[in-house]
Amino acid sequence: MRLLTLYATILLLPFALKAQTTFNVNGPVNPLMEYTAYTHATVFINPNTVLNNATILVKQGKVESVTTDGTVPKNAIEVNLRGKTVYPSFIDLYSNYGVNMPQPIKNKSFGEQFNSNKAGAYAWNEALKPEVNAAAYFNYNQNEASELRSKGFAVVLTGLQDGICRGTTSLVTTSQQEPHYNILKNNVTSSFSFSKGTSAQPYPSSLMGSVALLRQTYYDEIWYNKQEKEKNLSLVAFGNLVKLPAIFDAGNKQNVLRAAVIAKEFNANYIIKTNGDDYQRLQEIKQNNFPLIVPVNFPKAYKINDAFDADLISTSDLKHWELAPANLYFLWKNNIKFCITSQGCKEQEFLNNLRKAVSYGLPKNEALKALTQTPASLIGASNLGEIKKDALANFIICNGDLFDEETDILEMVIQGKRHTISYGNSLKLADEYKINSNITLIIKKQLAIIDADTFKLKNSLQGAVAHFILDGKSLITYQASATLVDSSNYPYTIKKLTGFTKNTDKSISLWDANASSNPNKKKENNTTTKLLSDSLIWFPFNDFGSNTLAKQQKVLFKNATVWTNEELGISSQTDVIIADGKITAVGKNLSCKDCEVIDAAGKHLTNGIIDEHSHIAITHGVNEGTQAVTSEVRIGDAVNADDINIYRQLAGGVIAAQLLHGSANPIGGQSALIKLRWGLAPEKMKIENAPGYIKFALGENVKQANWGDGATTRYPQTRMGVEQVFVDAFTRAKEYEQKLKTDKTTRKDLELDALVEILNSKRFITCHSYVQSEINMLMHVADTFGFRVNTFTHILEGYKVADKMKKHGVNASTFADWWAYKYEVIDAIPHNAAILNRMGVTVAVNSDDAEMGRRLNQEAAKIIKYGNVSEEEAWKMVTLNPAKMLRIENRTGSIKAGKDADLVLWNNNPLSIYAKPEMTYVDGICYYSLSKDEKLRKQVSQTRAKLISDILQAQKDGAESQIHISELEPNYHCQDEE
Amino acid sequence: MKNNIFTTLLLLISFSSIKAQQIPVIIVGGTVHIGNGKIINNGYVAFDSGMFVFVDSVMRNSYKNATIIDAKGKHIYPGLFLLNTYLGLNEIDAVRATRDYQETGEINPNVRALIAYNTDSRVVPTAKFNGITYLQVVPQGGLVSGTSCVVKTEAYNWEDAVVNEDGIHMNWPEVNHYQKNEEQQKRLADQLVSLNTLIAEARQYQYKSVTNKTNLRLQAMQAIINQTRVLYVHAQSAKAILETIEFIKQNQPLKAVIVTGSNAHLVIDELKTANIPVIINLIHSLPNRNHHDIDQPFKTVAQLFNKGVTVSIGFSGSWESRNVMYTAGTCAAYGINKEQALQLITENAAKITGNQQQLGTIEAGKNATLIISEGDVLDMKESKLTHLFINGETCDLENSQTELYKKYSKRYGIEAK
Repeated sequence: MRLLTLYATILLLPFALKAQTTFNVNGPVNPLMEYTAYTHATVFINPNTVLNNATILVKQGKVESVTTDGTVPKNAIEVNLRGKTVYPSFIDLYSNYGVNMPQPIKNKSFGEQFNSNKAGAYAWNEALKPEVNAAAYFNYNQNEASELRSKGFAVVLTGLQDGICRGTTSLVTTSQQEPHYNILKNNVTSSFSFSKGTSAQPYPSSLMGSVALLRQTYYDEIWYNKQEKEKNLSLVAFGNLVKLPAIFDAGNKQNVLRAAVIAKEFNANYIIKTNGDDYQRLQEIKQNNFPLIVPVNFPKAYKINDAFDADLISTSDLKHWELAPANLYFLWKNNIKFCITSQGCKEQEFLNNLRKAVSYGLPKNEALKALTQTPASLIGASNLGEIKKDALANFIICNGDLFDEETDILEMVIQGKRHTISYGNSLKLADEYKINSNITLIIKKQLAIIDADTFKLKNSLQGAVAHFILDGKSLITYQASATLVDSSNYPYTIKKLTGFTKNTDKSISLWDANASSNPNKKKENNTTTKLLSDSLIWFPFNDFGSNTLAKQQKVLFKNATVWTNEELGISSQTDVIIADGKITAVGKNLSCKDCEVIDAAGKHLTNGIIDEHSHIAITHGVNEGTQAVTSEVRIGDAVNADDINIYRQLAGGVIAAQLLHGSANPIGGQSALIKLRWGLAPEKMKIENAPGYIKFALGENVKQANWGDGATTRYPQTRMGVEQVFVDAFTRAKEYEQKLKTDKTTRKDLELDALVEILNSKRFITCHSYVQSEINMLMHVADTFGFRVNTFTHILEGYKVADKMKKHGVNASTFADWWAYKYEVIDAIPHNAAILNRMGVTVAVNSDDAEMGRRLNQEAAKIIKYGNVSEEEAWKMVTLNPAKMLRIENRTGSIKAGKDADLVLWNNNPLSIYAKPEMTYVDGICYYSLSKDEKLRKQVSQTRAKLISDILQAQKDGAESQIHISELEPNYHCQDEE
Repeated sequence: MKNNIFTTLLLLISFSSIKAQQIPVIIVGGTVHIGNGKIINNGYVAFDSGMFVFVDSVMRNSYKNATIIDAKGKHIYPGLFLLNTYLGLNEIDAVRATRDYQETGEINPNVRALIAYNTDSRVVPTAKFNGITYLQVVPQGGLVSGTSCVVKTEAYNWEDAVVNEDGIHMNWPEVNHYQKNEEQQKRLADQLVSLNTLIAEARQYQYKSVTNKTNLRLQAMQAIINQTRVLYVHAQSAKAILETIEFIKQNQPLKAVIVTGSNAHLVIDELKTANIPVIINLIHSLPNRNHHDIDQPFKTVAQLFNKGVTVSIGFSGSWESRNVMYTAGTCAAYGINKEQALQLITENAAKITGNQQQLGTIEAGKNATLIISEGDVLDMKESKLTHLFINGETCDLENSQTELYKKYSKRYGIEAK
């Protein structure tokens, strides 16, 4: 009993030692010398400077000097580090170490939680927590601190990792002591993300909603200082945040670009935390010029048992497995500033992966810099990141080169305090051991041989079971024993192994083996690197991506049947020339000197298809349907340039699309008009200077009629309510517009800004609609407020009010033959387009569906079948007419000199079920052709075959593996709730 | 009274409608697509008393009082089959009261699509409008969803509509890949046991039971055991298809058909070797994985067809399945010819549902079910029906949609072309 108590006291002692100043001490105080000399060490004082046989003097937690003359003051305790290497300890700028904040209580009652449940005068939305100060919730946490130390981290920037605005971070050490001494500095940076985290409020449900909420908050802060009516502690706190550098937890490479867009709008100083897939959009990330925080949690080899397992792994995941370790190398090579976070790596995995990154070409000094100097300078901490006078005494003591896989971290000195990490390899195995002239044990790999605390042999020698004895002391049963060591070099080499072999008759044979060096085995050179070529990077990083971007061509299409959509009509034996992205000539017998000539005899050349209603290429939610009016959200903030459907639709002859918000609420979000420029970044997909559009919706979706019996609280629940939502919104917008002109303290409201744009014909409505009463209603609302509805989309009962639509001047973008899927489409008829067309309404046929989007030519053909329109008119319904609705007809939609070269060459009449696009040009660039596609198919299958065999080999070589099924991006329709 | 007996007799013999064909019809001059891959240009098709009398490139018989239809420049096809639909069991997807395709519980071989088939559906006539004369109406959901039927698209009641009750539908248990966990694996194993048990119990059921009690489910399964009906196994993933093939092998003898989709290309050789007919569902789909060829769903059927697998196509769904002929058209653009594509939804569909003796092709002796189209019926650009006959009876192509078309065209004073 007495013994036990004593033991416990010793354990607690290190923690109690530091207790002083404001603390009460129970018993005599115990001040220590706090003066230590670390001698005979190899010291990296910074990533580029190494001192041999150096002495580091540490006084009261700070470095007093680093010298090579070796003098040790008499009052200093000497720690002899002969044979050891010392590095500045690491700094992690992305951590939630020790931070625990209690969550607000969630709604127990029925229905949606529209406002925050947090008590007090704080933000309306729980995803906004600018008032959080990480230090207020910080505590020393033994397990987390110990893990961070084992990875080499003495200092981390910690904060709450929950919500879109996460308050401020604190700089803390991982030293074992009271939090009072861990905390170096508070309010170091602010912290943001796109994820609403644990907030129980439905808004925002989508990525674009997150962006909108954050932007509105930035504007609210500006407004807050101009007014006195409202007191809001969150906005006060936000005012302090914007003065600090910000850590933005963005995620994948497209989110990195999205964060940069916000930073530029608000002139913010972001340090962007990525997912480690930055190499997939290097040039765009480089142009943004924001420093990055990059993880090294490379994917493990995927478990593959058979071809069917392999089929479930996407090529981009396979390729990420191959390329992720080279991410840091690519960043460095492109001069992108970055630091490294250990986030996502458990314990030893971090050092292993760091070393892997080095073996993939990241220079060691750059790796060190990214873990020391760079993070220190980004947060302006001049006393961190180097071993120099007056710096905090934070360093790593290793038994060798840190980037050598045999090296262990032995100790972490943090604020002058020593923390043992491991005892390291005091012993190592020789290259090989000879048992006799016939049998040689070859040591393939030096893993950690002896785990100091248990003295267990960790690695196995050639798989046999044997016995291990060290210095005559019998240890646990293992396969070989060392009786002699060579102590001339550290770590000491085991000179002799003794072991026994269990024979098949269960008898035992003893054996000895003496170390010998293998002249054939080259000393493993740590500097051998595996450099990956950037030609392995595909744009986009998905199947059918390519390492080179297609370029504009000068082409002469000879003798095609040209569907001009102009006065010329459908003209046979006609030539078209394109150059510099434009159509330059249309006519007979044209010639062009430096054009590539394409023999188009027997083929049909058309303008490419324009899908007026599409939801492809959108990421993380097509609907922000959590409120009745969400005109502040923008699909443009969530464009996904990697979506495979872009390529598939190019193969269906589509060249442009309006990416629409869904139809979950009466006033949805703003559209993005894109051209299908496969391979380019999201911002480059958007049509330059395209007018603004917005989605409205009516009927069953917006009144949540088919959302289950629970969805009965959000306004509106009836068509009567839908009208009032519009009247209310536009009334508010009118008042707001007036107030903006007269009152400078008016709060900038992103939601109303968009509505004011509609009132002033600067933004145009595409309205989801089915039954005639509601179509009629919205036209009346528009007339009352003095604007015009631009397009009714779906508009399946448009034929019943075709005359009224004509009078209002609205366009119709409809389905060819959809009906009967819900009650409001019971009267839908496939002749709708033909009637509207005959009544003089401009009609388009759209998809609202990723699959149908690639067969819109066939949907147009159905209008001939059902309504007997001419082929030319049917074709315009998927080309020129949608271009008119989207107000881009001056540049695309027909074949005419001066217009964009957005062309498709078909093997057949484009309206035929048998027609296939042979080539699709956007802006004069051939993004799809049958022959290109064939090459890409080969590239895909060859790449997959190689990577799958590499993974199987890695598994054979003992790499850890994980079950993996690649997730597919959802294909959205407008009624999808997310 | 006499008349009544006569019609009852007719019903028993040929399941034809109450008003049987009275006058012979001869169609002259069109392109006759037989349905078995063959074609006759400028052909003659004659039918009488609901049966084809002759089909040839020369006039062979003459009927003095026959109705002559000039089909010059037009195309004549056998009536089209729509397999694997739930049209007629569902009117409006979003309105629960109109959904009749899925019974509760896992093992429902005894529920019959036929008796719930709605001959008065407003949706079915829109499928008929496109040339569909026969539906295979299939119950959905569960492990064994029920007994399907083949019905005519023009009828007054289900007794009038029925061609046959062709098979029982089994949904092969599959793991949702995104939530592969132990609980699911266990459920999967349990489901496999219950399917194997079902077949084993059904085999024993033909002998006298120990308890001597009637079991409606096992009784329904007798049609599978004695091979008078087809066991349709619906399987999606490649692994599930292989497991299905193994299951069918283990439980022989039975007549089986695999209903699958765009993963079938991963196991074409296995399907060929197994010698089991296949229905490929939903040709107009996106590829299952990003790396699959972008046109994979379009060409899977041709890949199977060209290997010699008996293949047809299905279109699970309701209103949208009226487009099945265009999905056949797509097959013709991706690896087979147009006549072969037609064969998928005529002869092969009849064969798979056990009706090849009387349906599926325009051949003398078969039921006179045919359509005449102005152009290629597989191409929406020109597929426009002028005539549709079921068992020699001409059928109305008007429907609620054409009526609304006319009504509003009239209102605006425009032509309803």
